Amino acid sequence: MTLEQPNFLKLLCATRFAEGLPNKHLQCLCRGARLVRLSAGQTLFREGETEPDVFVLTSGHVRLSMNVPGRGAVDFLSAGPGDLVGWSGLISDGRMTATATARTDSVLIALSGQCLKEACEHDPQLGFVLMKRIAQVLSQRLLSTRLQLLDLFAEGTSA
Amino acid sequence: MITPFPSSHPHNPWLAHSVRIQRVTQETPGVATYDMAFDDASVAESFQFLPGQFNMIYLPGVGEVAISISGDPGQRGVVPHTIREAGNVTKTLARLPLNSSIALRGPFGSSWPVESCVGKDVVIVAGGIGLAPLRPAILHLLKHRSELDELTLIVGARDSSLLLYPERYDDWRAKGMNVLVTVDRADESWHGCIGMVTAVLDRLWLRDASKTVVMTCGPEVMMWYTVQTAIRRGIPSAQCFLSLERNMNCAIGLCGHCQFGPEFLCKDGPVFCFDRVASRMKVEDL
Amino acid sequence: MSHHTSIQPADVSVAGLLRTDDLQQLIDALIAAGYDVIGPKIDQCAIVYDQITSVNQLPRGWTDLQEPGRYRLQQSDDSKYFGFAVGPHSWKKYLFPPQSIVSTATRTENGWQFSTDAPPAPRLAFLGVRACELAAIEIQDRVFLHGPWVDPIYKSRRDAVLIVAVNCTSAASTCFCSSTNTGPRCRSGFDLALTEIAGGFVIETGSESGRAIAARLPLESVTEHHHAEASSARAQAEAMMTRKLRTDDLHDLLLGNLKHPHWDDVATRCLSCTNCTMVCPTCFCSTVTDVSDLTNDHVQRERKWDSCFNIDFSYMNGSPVRNSIASRYRQWLTHKLASWQDQFGTLGCVGCGRCITWCPPGIDLTEEVVKLRDAVHANSEDPS
Ligand code: SF4
Ligand code: SF4
Repeated sequence: MTLEQPNFLKLLCATRFAEGLPNKHLQCLCRGARLVRLSAGQTLFREGETEPDVFVLTSGHVRLSMNVPGRGAVDFLSAGPGDLVGWSGLISDGRMTATATARTDSVLIALSGQCLKEACEHDPQLGFVLMKRIAQVLSQRLLSTRLQLLDLFAEGTSA
Repeated sequence: MITPFPSSHPHNPWLAHSVRIQRVTQETPGVATYDMAFDDASVAESFQFLPGQFNMIYLPGVGEVAISISGDPGQRGVVPHTIREAGNVTKTLARLPLNSSIALRGPFGSSWPVESCVGKDVVIVAGGIGLAPLRPAILHLLKHRSELDELTLIVGARDSSLLLYPERYDDWRAKGMNVLVTVDRADESWHGCIGMVTAVLDRLWLRDASKTVVMTCGPEVMMWYTVQTAIRRGIPSAQCFLSLERNMNCAIGLCGHCQFGPEFLCKDGPVFCFDRVASRMKVEDL
Repeated sequence: MSHHTSIQPADVSVAGLLRTDDLQQLIDALIAAGYDVIGPKIDQCAIVYDQITSVNQLPRGWTDLQEPGRYRLQQSDDSKYFGFAVGPHSWKKYLFPPQSIVSTATRTENGWQFSTDAPPAPRLAFLGVRACELAAIEIQDRVFLHGPWVDPIYKSRRDAVLIVAVNCTSAASTCFCSSTNTGPRCRSGFDLALTEIAGGFVIETGSESGRAIAARLPLESVTEHHHAEASSARAQAEAMMTRKLRTDDLHDLLLGNLKHPHWDDVATRCLSCTNCTMVCPTCFCSTVTDVSDLTNDHVQRERKWDSCFNIDFSYMNGSPVRNSIASRYRQWLTHKLASWQDQFGTLGCVGCGRCITWCPPGIDLTEEVVKLRDAVHANSEDPS
């Protein structure tokens, strides 16, 4: 699924995740980057497996699911262009907490978790900027999850 | 001292117009659209409303309930209301046969700022039955599609069976609106997006955030975070509009029930610019 | 017939002196002009407003002792007709009745027919309207007549009323109309105004209808001495008024502290009994419900006074928005003293003190404002 080397710098800075990062940081991110193309139905990673890369979706639709015995794979969230998936690799041991499957043909930039970690250790400023971005992504996802949890549409709304 | 202004409504605001339930369309379980036709031809002719305004639907002997008009503001004669069975009035209404005689007072309240959308990009964010009060704005904007730049509708629902007006989305798309649908819970049959409308708004491509107008209707919590997301994306809060809901009894600003701080939701709202109500939306039990 | 909008201070002039013994002639003149006269009288140990035809029904020689949570009538040492302040009633019960029919529905072969026809409003002459009450009527005029929608019931009743004001010559301990700038002097908004002095009443007129009534009275000319006596009687009311309310900072103080813990403090004392809203001459909240006959073929839409202290007042989607007493007291006080200013360009309080007197636990809004202000300031001065 790996392709010829495209211009990662350009691709990446067009995503919401990397938008506005200074050039030197973008270059660090692109070190060891590769492009991943998935066709509809293909799985990017599986819950419980170790995944060394972190992915930024540039186009398409990837769904996250968790396996529930008796119910099978339960889809709980969609990721779209600009979204970050597989971030566990940066923070914990890289064991995935969900399965990611492409619903439509999708293109992702895979950033090497190892390279990123090293770059962050080496340049704490980059590390801070990157962690701030990830924290933002996670806080948005947490909010979204909470709103889903509140089951807002279950009772009366404006009519 | 304020100088009193003359009443702009010579009509007795308590006088109801008799209407017939001309058609009922089941939308989702417990939600149906009732097309009301006026008995009096001259009322039918003169009745006009602005997108976002509401009527008091009246079942004599049962009571009144405030319902947003969900039809095309350009259409005369028949007024559709999409209604969820919730209280006494709406449950009784759901049991009435076609052609039953009921009544309405209206239209009341403020409207979506469709006039100020000319030359702008518009993002409409609807949750659950909140799409109903937005539908007149959608139909109006589609009719004036060429006067806008981007036009996007983000629809959220609990699951795909609870989506409102799903059979219209393709028509709306064909008329030039980008319709994005997302659900909280997906079953096997759902191939679309899963997650909150805020997540969809987060990744929506914006041509020019500073020239984007947001209109949102749905649960208050959803509207709040929709506007927060819009603001984070660079959309000015003064260009974000939402429709609030409180207990309404008289609809003419005289009974006091629907107060929200200094606002009477029935006459100052239900549609507000976010800036006007923001400071009060997170005050508990207001 | 008086027309409220035509009454301007510029119209006010002294018409003459009516001797105490001739007061009945005023009542007779009002009745002769086609009015039912409503005035103060004693009922169940309180001075209330009711129809009167004779001066003998007036509470002559009685005064009211008022304190937070306390009201008592007492014989006074003079024999004044109007030597008391205000009681549990206000004139709003005639202009905005506690119960009224806003519309009716009748089932016919051709479906429901609706009507808002109402019997003609009674022509009432209010006798003994105090300055704070004139102000309260003016405030309700703004609510019911000067918004985008006019309430037809209030309008027809308001148009049919003639107002005979009375200048207070004493004040209750609960009064604070000087603070709200609504009294004790009656300056406008009346057809006739009386100042009671020894031997008679100095009569002012404030409108054509007032002048027409005055013309039928056996008035004597007012001497320098009468004038002096009248102003000192009025000054006495001012001098007796001890209660104060600082108003300049109310709007931001209250709306800027919606989450202040002081609301919970009031909530430990407030019973949410609705008394304060029922006695208040400016409170205008109501609820309309359907009342049908047994056949369900005739339905009336009945409007009744309601209160923001009732738990189901804010009901929405099956549960009340204002579930706690703290939130309901906060709604009441912030509305009266703050958001009312945004809505109607004036305070919603005229300083009549009724809500203080008739509150069972004696909660005093002027004191609650002071407590909140002190708490807010103490906090902001906190060095931490
Ligand atoms: S709030 Fe109290 S003092 Fe003020 S007008 Fe109402 S009853 Fe009178
Ligand atoms: S403040 Fe007093 S009168 Fe008003 S509701 Fe509370 S207890 Fe009753």
